[in-house]
Amino acid sequence: MAPHIRPVSPLFVALVCLAFCSRLSRMKAASICTNSQTGCHFLSLANLFDRVIHHSARMHGISNDLHSEFELYFLPSKNRVSRNCHTSTILTPNGKENAQRIAREELTEVILKLLLAWRDPLWHFHQNMARHHKFNNLSSNKSLEMSEMVHELRKGVQKVAEKMQMLGIISNSLGTLGSREALLASDSPEWRLMNDYNLLYCFRRDSNKIQNYLKILKCRIVPEHGC
Amino acid sequence: MMRNVGGVIVLSLLLVFVQLAAGESFSPPGTPKNIICRSPEKETFTCWWEPGSDGGLPTTYALYYRKENSDTVYECPDYKTAGKNSCFFNKNDTSIWVTYNITVVATNALGRAFSDPVEIDVVYIVMPNPPEEVTVTVIEDTNWPFLRVSWEPPEKADTRSGWITLIYELRIKLENEDEWEVHPAGQQKVFNIFSLRPDSTYHVQVRCKPDHGFWSEWSGTTFVKVPDYFPRERSMWILIAVFAAFIILTFTFIWLSYMKIHNLKHYVLPPVPGPKIKGFDKKALKNGKFEDIFSSLVVSDFPPTTSNYEDFIVENLEVFVPEEQELIMEDSKDLQDDSIKSENSTCDNDSGRGSCDSHTLLIDKGGGDKEEALQSDQEGSQDERVPTSPEEVMEEDLLACCDEKNSPDISEKVKFTPSLISPLPRYNLMNQPNPPEIGKKHCLSDSLLNPDSLPSYFTQPPSTKNDFRSNPWECNFNHKQHPLHPQTTGKEHLQVQNEISWVHVDRTEASLGVQAPSVRSTEYVEVQRVSGGNMVLLHPVSAGQENSGTMSHQTEHYSRVKTVNNDSGLLLLQKESTGEEMGICLSEEEVESRATSNGYTASITPTSEKPMVGINSTLPILDDRMASGYVDTATMFGLPTY
Repeated sequence: MAPHIRPVSPLFVALVCLAFCSRLSRMKAASICTNSQTGCHFLSLANLFDRVIHHSARMHGISNDLHSEFELYFLPSKNRVSRNCHTSTILTPNGKENAQRIAREELTEVILKLLLAWRDPLWHFHQNMARHHKFNNLSSNKSLEMSEMVHELRKGVQKVAEKMQMLGIISNSLGTLGSREALLASDSPEWRLMNDYNLLYCFRRDSNKIQNYLKILKCRIVPEHGC
Repeated sequence: MMRNVGGVIVLSLLLVFVQLAAGESFSPPGTPKNIICRSPEKETFTCWWEPGSDGGLPTTYALYYRKENSDTVYECPDYKTAGKNSCFFNKNDTSIWVTYNITVVATNALGRAFSDPVEIDVVYIVMPNPPEEVTVTVIEDTNWPFLRVSWEPPEKADTRSGWITLIYELRIKLENEDEWEVHPAGQQKVFNIFSLRPDSTYHVQVRCKPDHGFWSEWSGTTFVKVPDYFPRERSMWILIAVFAAFIILTFTFIWLSYMKIHNLKHYVLPPVPGPKIKGFDKKALKNGKFEDIFSSLVVSDFPPTTSNYEDFIVENLEVFVPEEQELIMEDSKDLQDDSIKSENSTCDNDSGRGSCDSHTLLIDKGGGDKEEALQSDQEGSQDERVPTSPEEVMEEDLLACCDEKNSPDISEKVKFTPSLISPLPRYNLMNQPNPPEIGKKHCLSDSLLNPDSLPSYFTQPPSTKNDFRSNPWECNFNHKQHPLHPQTTGKEHLQVQNEISWVHVDRTEASLGVQAPSVRSTEYVEVQRVSGGNMVLLHPVSAGQENSGTMSHQTEHYSRVKTVNNDSGLLLLQKESTGEEMGICLSEEEVESRATSNGYTASITPTSEKPMVGINSTLPILDDRMASGYVDTATMFGLPTY
């Protein structure tokens, strides 16, 4: 018993410390900003926005690369490709005026819905690619990264939403709505019917939407920094 | 009815006829090509197409589109706004993130042509307008002014709301150049350009691009003139100078290290050649006998007359010296360093071969070295060795001959051509005034003494070598300037000149010795071979006595050289005026002592490489000799010993 515990216990302690430390750092970041109230919060919110926007831009870049590769190597026929993306059920503003007219909460919700809707399809897509060796190593790494990014980006946007709710910028009605609709979207089996090319095409567009919506949101909420 | 049908037929025929009469062929229109759609701000977009051939008939074009997942066909709402062959979609008709399927149809009287369908999504066809309000200013706060370029996004592109994100790029070039320098600027709207060329004009242009779209056109050129400023390049030049100096120093050190210090010292500070003054006795100088020195400088027959020059030409110099005769060769260094040097060889210039070869006397090899050493000592430079080299060569030849105990080969052994001597200015010139006196070695051997055996009294090349070797006689000779160098008029002396520098003079009666009175008509010089061959003792023998009393004198005065120290021994042969004959092979010390006793000093430096200057006060000696009827004194000329 004792010899087993010994090597394990310091490791355990280290892990615990890590968890606590990370929590502490986060709290610390918040505590620092409490001194100068609004400026600090906005600044940190802007920072968060910048991070998620950067993240979404990267995600969109990867999806764009994969789509171009697919188009190059597999040469799908361009005649009447059905573009039935499974996320078409999610209502998204398709113009600038529409995007500016929509409420912040809705916009945030749309973003979260989109991100949630793509979590499973991308994971399966990656599995499919890896199993059937349809992509080379580089591309399969990209698909993996893409699926992970969706996951992390969703968490990041959730954090931003929490921050905004905390700041009172948006109301608290966000959480439940988003998740329900998103769940519905993700439960629909439509995405399983999409072929690979369609999937990539749809995701490329949706990642572009996400990035664009985030930018609009940021410039609407914290316009001072780089808008 | 028949009329109607007939009318139609007629009409159609007319039409065909008209067409045929017109001479044209009509065809359906060609398909429109290259449909390009662009959106400047992601809110509207425009499509352009290229019409195909119109087939000669008026052709109309129509654009039809379908939106994504809808089969409804719409026609272009606006054909005019964007110009000819274009279709403009306004905001209401534009949907982002929606795929449009666009087709252009050309129609004329004869038919239709459908273009290939084009699928576009507005998001990916954004091509903004060029940036606006590009301003370039020169900032001159510091000594190095720079350019600040600033611009604004195109008006239509809505970057404020975050709808479009633009990244910029600018390029700059000098007015005269063709190549642009491109600088990506990211999302910023200000850019600084440094490292400008003063007093020149620059062209600046800016363009932009959305995240995923096309680059805009370059903005209009903005001109900016950079003023002439004073570039602080001094520091650069200072750096360059320091670096160059460092490199030069490095190379100098490397060069110095290659050159030996010795050589360098010689190169930088060449040794001052010693004064060669005829009649100037260095040794006397060292000994401090100034009166002797200066007295020796008095040369009566200077400047030399032309007649004297002949003396310098050694045509035939034969010295027949019996082999057993030992000759002491003494090299006087006083006047002629070169001769001295050459004398350093075991064979004196004057002495015959025999003396050179004398085993007791001679160190063949040492002699040569000695001579060289002498040269080096005296001259201190290598340069002077060169001219003496012929002397040395001669001497070496002589030396070589000395070894042979052959009958005097007069013709071979000592042959001094004029050429040998003439190039030796120092020697010759010095000797000129007293050609006979000048270092002539007379090596007289016993055989020589015999008049019979002295065929070479007269201008014959002495075969001194052979004789000398075996000669117990000593050859006296004045090497250099020595005033003791008596040359008797009318007497021919066997003069063996080992050294080329020696001047064989003496046929004339003219008394040679400016320095010294012509003591004798014939001068027999005892050559004492000094160890190492450096020192040669010359005993001037009075001329008058030669013929008759030479023998006796010789017997009296000639002494054998017993031994010659290799190191530096000088054999001084002193002959007393009284007739005592002392063939003394003296060590250096002895020599000196004797010399002093006789009134002359011969200084021999046993130490190696010390130039020995034998300064003999020849004059007084000569006088003494003369008084006694012949000059017995052996004058020792300092030879540098080594």
